[in-house]
Amino acid sequence: MTTAAPATGTLTATGAKPGAWHHRHLIDVDVLTWSEIELIMRTTDEMKGILARPIRKVPALNGRRVTTLFYEASTRTRVSFETAARNLSADVVSIATATSSVTKGESLVDTIRTLEALGAEILVMRHGISGAPYLAAEVFGGHVLNGGDGWHAHPTQALLDLYTMREKLPGGDLRGRKVAIVGDILHSRVARSNIWSLTAAGADLWLCGPATLLRGMDRWATAWSGGAVPGHGRFNVTTDIETALRDADVVMGLRIQRERMQAGLLPSMREYAARFQLNAKRLSLAKPEAIVMHPGPMNEGVEIAPDVAISGRSVITDQVANGVAVRMALLYLLAGAHEAAVGEPAR
Amino acid sequence: MTDRQIMTGDEIRRAIVRISHEIVEKQAGTQGLVLVGIQRRGVPLAQRVAEAIEVHEGVRLPVGALDITFYRDDLSLVAQQPIVKGTDLPFDLNGTTVVLVDDVLYTGRTIRAAMDALIDFGRPRAIRLAVLIDRGHRELPIRADHVGKNVPTSREEIVHVRLAEVDAEDEVTIARQVRSTETTAAGS
Amino acid sequence: MSATKGPRQGGPPGPAVGEKVGRLELEKAWLVDPVSDRQGPGDIVVTGGVIESVVWLEGDEAAGVTDRGVVVAPGFFDLHAHFREPGFEDAETVASGSAAAAHGGYTTVAVMPNTQPALDDPGVLARIRAAARASGSPVEVLAFGAVSAGRAGEQLSAMGELADAGVIGYSDDGSPVKTSKLLRSALLYAGMLGLPVVDHAEDAELTSGAEAHEGYVASVMGLAGWPVAAEVNAVSRDLAVLADALRDEPRSRLHLTHISTAGALDLVRRAKAAGLPVTCDVTPHHLALTDEWIAGARRWSWEALAADGTPRDPWADAVLSGWPYNTSLRVNPPLGTATDAAACLAALLDGTADAVATDHAPHTVVDKEVEFGRAANGISGIETALGVLLALVDAGKLPLARAVAALTTGPASVLAAALGTAALPAARARGLTEGAPANLVVFDRGDTWKVTPEALLSKGKNSPLLGRQLPGRVLLTISAGRLAYEDPEAGDE
Repeated sequence: MTTAAPATGTLTATGAKPGAWHHRHLIDVDVLTWSEIELIMRTTDEMKGILARPIRKVPALNGRRVTTLFYEASTRTRVSFETAARNLSADVVSIATATSSVTKGESLVDTIRTLEALGAEILVMRHGISGAPYLAAEVFGGHVLNGGDGWHAHPTQALLDLYTMREKLPGGDLRGRKVAIVGDILHSRVARSNIWSLTAAGADLWLCGPATLLRGMDRWATAWSGGAVPGHGRFNVTTDIETALRDADVVMGLRIQRERMQAGLLPSMREYAARFQLNAKRLSLAKPEAIVMHPGPMNEGVEIAPDVAISGRSVITDQVANGVAVRMALLYLLAGAHEAAVGEPAR
Repeated sequence: MTDRQIMTGDEIRRAIVRISHEIVEKQAGTQGLVLVGIQRRGVPLAQRVAEAIEVHEGVRLPVGALDITFYRDDLSLVAQQPIVKGTDLPFDLNGTTVVLVDDVLYTGRTIRAAMDALIDFGRPRAIRLAVLIDRGHRELPIRADHVGKNVPTSREEIVHVRLAEVDAEDEVTIARQVRSTETTAAGS
Repeated sequence: MSATKGPRQGGPPGPAVGEKVGRLELEKAWLVDPVSDRQGPGDIVVTGGVIESVVWLEGDEAAGVTDRGVVVAPGFFDLHAHFREPGFEDAETVASGSAAAAHGGYTTVAVMPNTQPALDDPGVLARIRAAARASGSPVEVLAFGAVSAGRAGEQLSAMGELADAGVIGYSDDGSPVKTSKLLRSALLYAGMLGLPVVDHAEDAELTSGAEAHEGYVASVMGLAGWPVAAEVNAVSRDLAVLADALRDEPRSRLHLTHISTAGALDLVRRAKAAGLPVTCDVTPHHLALTDEWIAGARRWSWEALAADGTPRDPWADAVLSGWPYNTSLRVNPPLGTATDAAACLAALLDGTADAVATDHAPHTVVDKEVEFGRAANGISGIETALGVLLALVDAGKLPLARAVAALTTGPASVLAAALGTAALPAARARGLTEGAPANLVVFDRGDTWKVTPEALLSKGKNSPLLGRQLPGRVLLTISAGRLAYEDPEAGDE
């Protein structure tokens, strides 16, 4: 068997016009071309417009069923998706796996098949194991939108982060802008998806954290340092917070979980905060107009100082608002995905 | 594919002038009137109607733009035209008489979606419709109040409206549709 | 090209599986005999289950016969397979495993003791033997006994009793031998009994929670990394313990199975050069597949190797045509990089690796149709091993004779210590020898076959090669003079 031309997001001769959307699923941003990302940004602009109206609703997904299947507890993200779906007039079904048959040992595949039999069309999934949405997409006849899988990807977060940065940075252009992401990079699906989207946007990306939580990232950065992967530039990895933050336009903090300490990866939360916390003093190294971001939920006092979280430079609440708009845009685009995309593998 | 011109730039201009008079005549004045152009070419048409009304009535009516992308009843078109052009209604709709303006009236589905969209923004007192071309083949009970030109067509034909603001020149042509695999792939 | 005469060509109906081969004549085939280190055009005749004659052709008679057509070799010997019986019969049984083995050209298979109950006493061995007899398959099923009771890693199993019952060695496979202390005792005791210890070299502390080879691909895909040090560490420990044990018991023998990393292979190479009695095997999947398959690449390992010997970037090369996170790729040890695969090949070529063993690990759909991180480890590989090695041969990476040796004399040499015991009578020749019972595989290099769930005779359909056309269709497998496998469409020539 010879390897066929892959569906990496570049348009093949499927009949889809340039600027059209042909992905049946959105599991990670790695398959998106820059023009597809631009399309998502423009569509999000419109969705934001809808959210500014007196009636924050349009009938675009009227009668369509959006099912949220969250294997990891997450009220914020799930509510964001459900709000997005309702704003498009979709019917929303929520599966909270803690109370469902999953606890009785039902497999993911069986759960998906059952949901499909019950009429699920668009599945918004969050799962603790990397790659789970691809398994779902293999057995599900509808559309899969990844709400976060293990350490691997969180595409809607990366896209709302990108949207927020473009909204807040002058000119809306990230080329050459320094973005620093600080925290537990190793275990972060937010970091991984942001690597794909920010290198596509031409940003000067810096990942920073303790060595134990950066394992493997330097190897990835080296692999990309020569511009090997088309459409994605290089990025930098450092354990030195000052190098990361100096003259940054954007500073993003990632949550540090207590479990990392227990796993022997960090001596203590106090030590992490002492060396890596985003506090006012460290932020003075960044540009005066730099924005502060965080995907949430935050451990205030650990990765981010409370005063920084609510400072004028913090756009964390904008991220939340933009999250609904981005998710509306993606639900809309997926629901209308070109039928030629049905049956194509994976991507 | 034969392109047949059915309106020249001058004919378009005269039609717009006539429509602008009709609109004012039906309203018995300009009080309470607003013009809302439907994206994409309805918008420059609405602007031109407003200009014409200003010329003979001395009043500049408010003009808005309406994008009905999210109100369509057919999502399969999203893949081909996902680009959304924007809604801008910088006035209060309540109690107004809205004149929707579009370039071509065909099945009527666009107008139905436009009315749904308008009503989400407010409660107009009345909604009227002005179109440059009515090509027949209505699938919904919708009719235009003001028509630039009635053009009987067959379903195999396409009507192209070109306006200088968008297409560099003014004209209306009609062509027989050629079904090719590139333009009519699955899902269209 | 050869003509296959005999029962299938218009004559009386041929033997059923398990029956003695009355008469078989193969003319103008390419014979490969690793025992005499000879290959070339030849005729071979089997009568009453015994090789009656082997004639090597010369001059005009040999004209037109190449190694690209029908090939005859000794039946293959798998040093490492899992037949799951007793305990996990949903995944495989001795009967289905034997059928699969024969389909793959294997006439002898050594099964591992991670059954349930573990093969730590002669009673379990008797059950396996009974199942083999009941299957009617002539494939020879040999067994490794567990090193530790219950494979728990604490006490030695009933090693002496197991030797008397006929195991060919000891292993805790599935797991490494748990402690250095236990390994040393096992090496001494087994050495005394004249049998090898086979270790699955893995530092279990380093691999806790690991999902894939720790490297670029795992970093991008968010998979918990399996450090190279896990294998290197374990091999290092094993070699040191072996060196120690030899001082007390010079008959101690260690075999390291499924070695997959360049670092570990290097340690074995140096140990052998220093005269340590250690052997090792590599698997077909570590030779031919790499971690980039998890990202969706579907090219052979040698196609993924850059000119400077480093792995190519699958994202840069845009070769991700397959579904990512395919659980049939989750295996222990994990698939390495193209560099590791190349190291496995180099080891096979320079003799550091003595054999190719499949580590055939069938699993049920229930255990594999799950999230990657939850999937059981293992590839169902006994039927595709030949095809994979022939792909290497076709690509010019491995000579045909070496491939055949890796599947026959190589495994036999690893168990040389066990040969001549109750388990492996010396009379069981591994070559194309006149007068010996026929142990043969006949395959057609001019043909291919498609790997599908239906084509696989194993219950385990967990093969990453599903959907792929593999070179080399097995036409006939004969074990101990009896028919083990016949291609349903064979005999039309």
